[in-house]
Amino acid sequence: MILQQLINGLTLGSTYALTAVGYSMVFGILELVNFSHGSVYMVGAFLTLIFLTSLKLNFFVSFLLSIILTGLLGILIDKVSLYPLRRKNAPKVTALISTIGVSIFLQNLVMLVWGSETKNFPLVINPGAVELMGVKVSFLQMIIFSMCLVIMIGLNTMIQKTRIGKAMRATAQNAEAAKLMGIDINRVIMITFFIGSALASVAGTMVGMYYQTIDPYIGYMAGLKAFAAAVLGGIGVLPGAIIGGLLIGVIETLSAAYINSGYRDAIAFAVLVLMLVIKPSGLLGKQVSKKV
Amino acid sequence: MKKNKKMVLFVSLILAFALVVTGCTSKPALEEAAGEIKIAVVGPMTGDSAQYGQAFKKATELLAKKVNEAGGVNGKKIKLEIVDDKNDAKEATNVAQKLVSDQDVIGVIGHFSSTASLAASPIYQRAGLVELSPTSSHPDFTSQGTFMFRNVNTQAIEGPILADFAVKDLQKKNIAVIYINNDWGITAKDNFVSAAEALGANITAVESFIGGQTKDFTPTITKIKNTKPDLLFLAAMYSETGMIAQQIKQLDYDIELLGTSSLNNQQLIELAGPAVEGLYLTNNYFPEDPSENVQGFVQEFKEAYGTEPDQFAAVAYDSLDMMISALKVSGPDRAKLRDALAEIKDYPGVTGKTTFNENRDVLKDMIIMQIKDGKFTLFKK
Repeated sequence: MILQQLINGLTLGSTYALTAVGYSMVFGILELVNFSHGSVYMVGAFLTLIFLTSLKLNFFVSFLLSIILTGLLGILIDKVSLYPLRRKNAPKVTALISTIGVSIFLQNLVMLVWGSETKNFPLVINPGAVELMGVKVSFLQMIIFSMCLVIMIGLNTMIQKTRIGKAMRATAQNAEAAKLMGIDINRVIMITFFIGSALASVAGTMVGMYYQTIDPYIGYMAGLKAFAAAVLGGIGVLPGAIIGGLLIGVIETLSAAYINSGYRDAIAFAVLVLMLVIKPSGLLGKQVSKKV
Repeated sequence: MKKNKKMVLFVSLILAFALVVTGCTSKPALEEAAGEIKIAVVGPMTGDSAQYGQAFKKATELLAKKVNEAGGVNGKKIKLEIVDDKNDAKEATNVAQKLVSDQDVIGVIGHFSSTASLAASPIYQRAGLVELSPTSSHPDFTSQGTFMFRNVNTQAIEGPILADFAVKDLQKKNIAVIYINNDWGITAKDNFVSAAEALGANITAVESFIGGQTKDFTPTITKIKNTKPDLLFLAAMYSETGMIAQQIKQLDYDIELLGTSSLNNQQLIELAGPAVEGLYLTNNYFPEDPSENVQGFVQEFKEAYGTEPDQFAAVAYDSLDMMISALKVSGPDRAKLRDALAEIKDYPGVTGKTTFNENRDVLKDMIIMQIKDGKFTLFKK
């Protein structure tokens, strides 16, 4: 049983990790805790579902359209709710509150348009499962897990090796100086939001397909858990987001299995608090001296 | 202390004043108000339970329209005020406060969940305003005061029916339970477990989850699988039941499922399809029931909204209809409405014959249904 529970936990963890990567990237570059990420994730899942069921499009086409549209939604969120604040040099906490507002707005908008019922997400690709030593692992679980790794490696490479990655890092270090060096920081931020939101759509769609249900509230808990995962791993450090996500998933599953299913979230978050007390910068985070 | 006394004096003065004012003005004012009777329908119109509130809204609006077109209640039109409590206890007390202070409101249909109904009940009781909940089945609800009514069997009645069916009809001896961790879920679980144990069943596992938060049930299911039950009882709403059933299937686990009447919703089948095939549930409303009043209601509802009415719509429809038939006797008066409502006996609703007992609880017959070939079918009457 413990092995099966570990697999359950790793899969749950991968779904957190998938969401946490986007979270972590936006934070790493903008130093902004983007609370709308969870809702964007939900919108992404809904868009895929609507293209799939209402417009009867092919799954991959629906998925692609959803990724692009959700990415554009990310840009829109930045332009409407964050850019005006940046221009007025508002404190960072204002931007944070603004993202909470966006999150609630999106949630209610989706409810208004598509209703609040839990909806079935058809299992369009069902590649089956294998059994290893009495433990069942589905290929979908493996796809989710490997997707996390691919996205993490891809993003890391992009940030470290490409021109736009360099611009992102420069913006992250010092936006003012980056601007002086001729970097169009608004463009950098736009791209960051596009990628972050597109990733949220990937995560939402994968998780929706895995559980075969979505509702307008999935973003709230997913966002919270992903945020916790990103913080636990060291926010802004992409491999940290993966490790944090997996860890939270496994802790949650094991506490549901061996302690009490009613306390699973409580225990997972208690562990988070404990770990942060011991290592405030997160597992892989580096202690950076704050610029003055 | 002294300050407190002053405060109490002040508040009671205001209350006394309010009493005097309402006592002498409200009645004539009401009769002047174009002959309308205002009834509030309260439920979660937004939020993660909005589908239930919407069912209340649709069914009561349908009935109010029908009654008004036929001339209203003793010549007065029914005016519904649809109120959103977001299925939240704090919000429920806020809207209750607002409703009791509106003297035009004669009765309240609501709230949806036991949690919201319980939270709001002291306010209605103090103001002497009828709170008729179509769905709150927590045993404590109607004992909060003489103005609390419900139109649903309590879990104290439903639990033993379910246990009896599981142990005697299905011959299951080892039963596992998953319940939603709220007022309703806990009483549903407790009543089922104690009745099943009294019948000699062995409860192998009792697991909980948090409604609206838990989406991943794989650890719970894996754990239950290990205790080797031959039946799984779910004290959950349809959305989570659908998720649990799908994840059971995904884990390649095969077990018979039993649920409560709260699962009687077409959405469950749309949501989980083959995963809920074979699931048993109790019920007191069955849309395929050939009787005239049920078919009439289903037909009207379909014409108005294009979908089949579910259990929640049916029971809200009955609740308002009972209140209207009481209003015909009592007229638009809060206290008289209470007395007239309490007198209702053998009311022939779409959810079966209904009588209020001395605790203002109802006794309704229940049937057992099963999901077969993607449809709710009658299993045992």
